[in-house]
Amino acid sequence: MGASAVADAVHPRTSRPCAAVGSLGQTGRVPPVRTSEPDALDAALAACAEGDPAAFAPVYDALAPAVFGTALGVLRDHDHAAEVTQEVMIEVWQTAVRFDASRGSARTWVVTMARRRAVDRVRAEQSRRVRDQKDVDGRFAGGGHDVVAEEVEQLLESAAVRRCLGSLTETQRESVVRAYFGGLTYREVALELGAAVPTVKSRIRDGLVRLRDCLGVNRG
Amino acid sequence: MDGPVADGEGPRTDDPRDLLAAYALDAVDDLDRRVVERLLASDADARRELDEHRAVVAAFTVDADPPASLRDAVLGRVASTPQVAAPGAGRGDARPGGPARAPRRWVVVAAVAAAVAAVAVPTTLAVQARQEQVRLQTQADAMASMLADPAAEIVRGEMVGGGDASALVSGDRVLFSVTDLPQAGAAEDYQLWLVEGEGMVSAGVFDARDGSAALLVDAAGSAGVAVTLEPAGGSPQPTSDPLVILET
Repeated sequence: MGASAVADAVHPRTSRPCAAVGSLGQTGRVPPVRTSEPDALDAALAACAEGDPAAFAPVYDALAPAVFGTALGVLRDHDHAAEVTQEVMIEVWQTAVRFDASRGSARTWVVTMARRRAVDRVRAEQSRRVRDQKDVDGRFAGGGHDVVAEEVEQLLESAAVRRCLGSLTETQRESVVRAYFGGLTYREVALELGAAVPTVKSRIRDGLVRLRDCLGVNRG
Repeated sequence: MDGPVADGEGPRTDDPRDLLAAYALDAVDDLDRRVVERLLASDADARRELDEHRAVVAAFTVDADPPASLRDAVLGRVASTPQVAAPGAGRGDARPGGPARAPRRWVVVAAVAAAVAAVAVPTTLAVQARQEQVRLQTQADAMASMLADPAAEIVRGEMVGGGDASALVSGDRVLFSVTDLPQAGAAEDYQLWLVEGEGMVSAGVFDARDGSAALLVDAAGSAGVAVTLEPAGGSPQPTSDPLVILET
């Protein structure tokens, strides 16, 4: 599929460098590649937690693509995503001792960190622009608030996620996708959709629960 | 705004559990974030639900290769970047085998002046009111010399449940300060601990006025400071997980 055409369609009003969009198309992969067995990765993280810098290289190689991909998905900017990746991978080293395999995979752990930092960066940029009043183009600068759910879903290269999104109701899918790609709070999603806040909150939760069941995520 | 959604800023009295999915998506504002983190600190079921939501959110990620130059930059930095202490370190929790690491210090180079100012300005000395004026003066002098110490180091951490903690380390003294701290419950107090070897030694309970507090402690021989929420009046030993641990 024309990945960069899709990316263009997804962000019609943002004026990001073409390079960022182009590289998104080039680097997206099908499916996510695992360069390391989870057990080996967990062992390398444990060695990092013991303070062994040599153990970090395989950790970087296994996890940096997930971190960069997550940041790029939120930020849509190559340079910002690279900065977030650097911050997160350093944080992985610093906090390796906090990784708890009983709470989820290493991949989930780093994606969570990356998403948090990327979203914070989007919001900081938004409030900066609002403060500077440079942005006359809508309430929320940046972010994907024009996102059309169907188009965004084409960016999801995991067939399982795509299929499972299809199991959501239209309104659930719309809320989850806007919250995921837009860097919006659920209150902002509600504003955009003209829906009540508690309704959107429920749709997001019900949507993620359905996705969980469909994807077979169950930590018992 | 004349938006049609009148409940856009509605009350936040609902069950915080309903926010876990939005929290996993980072689709919450700071206030909601804090509400959820309070829930997580005390509720294992909520943590389990969050873990599941996070695994779902992570499944959305499409891997992409970062710039090749980033690898060397990151690998080059980790060797000289200190690590945080294990959660619960010093509380007798089983730790993975291996020698105990020497206490490490976070060295702030260019940011020292700005960081010190950030600590010094917004905080209030929450020393106990019964303390003598002369002791206050001694503390003020000590703080002044710490702030003037070019070798002073600062460690920062975000507290579970809200609050930005920092420790200014100068010699054997630590100025622990916190901002944006939620008020402790009526039957609770925040308690500061010194991490000493495998144990924790109380450095006193404290209260947050307008969300801020600062405590000056003699931390000779300690590897860090930690904060827990304890029953009012404090405990001889921590009875809950630390809200933050700062390695000094």
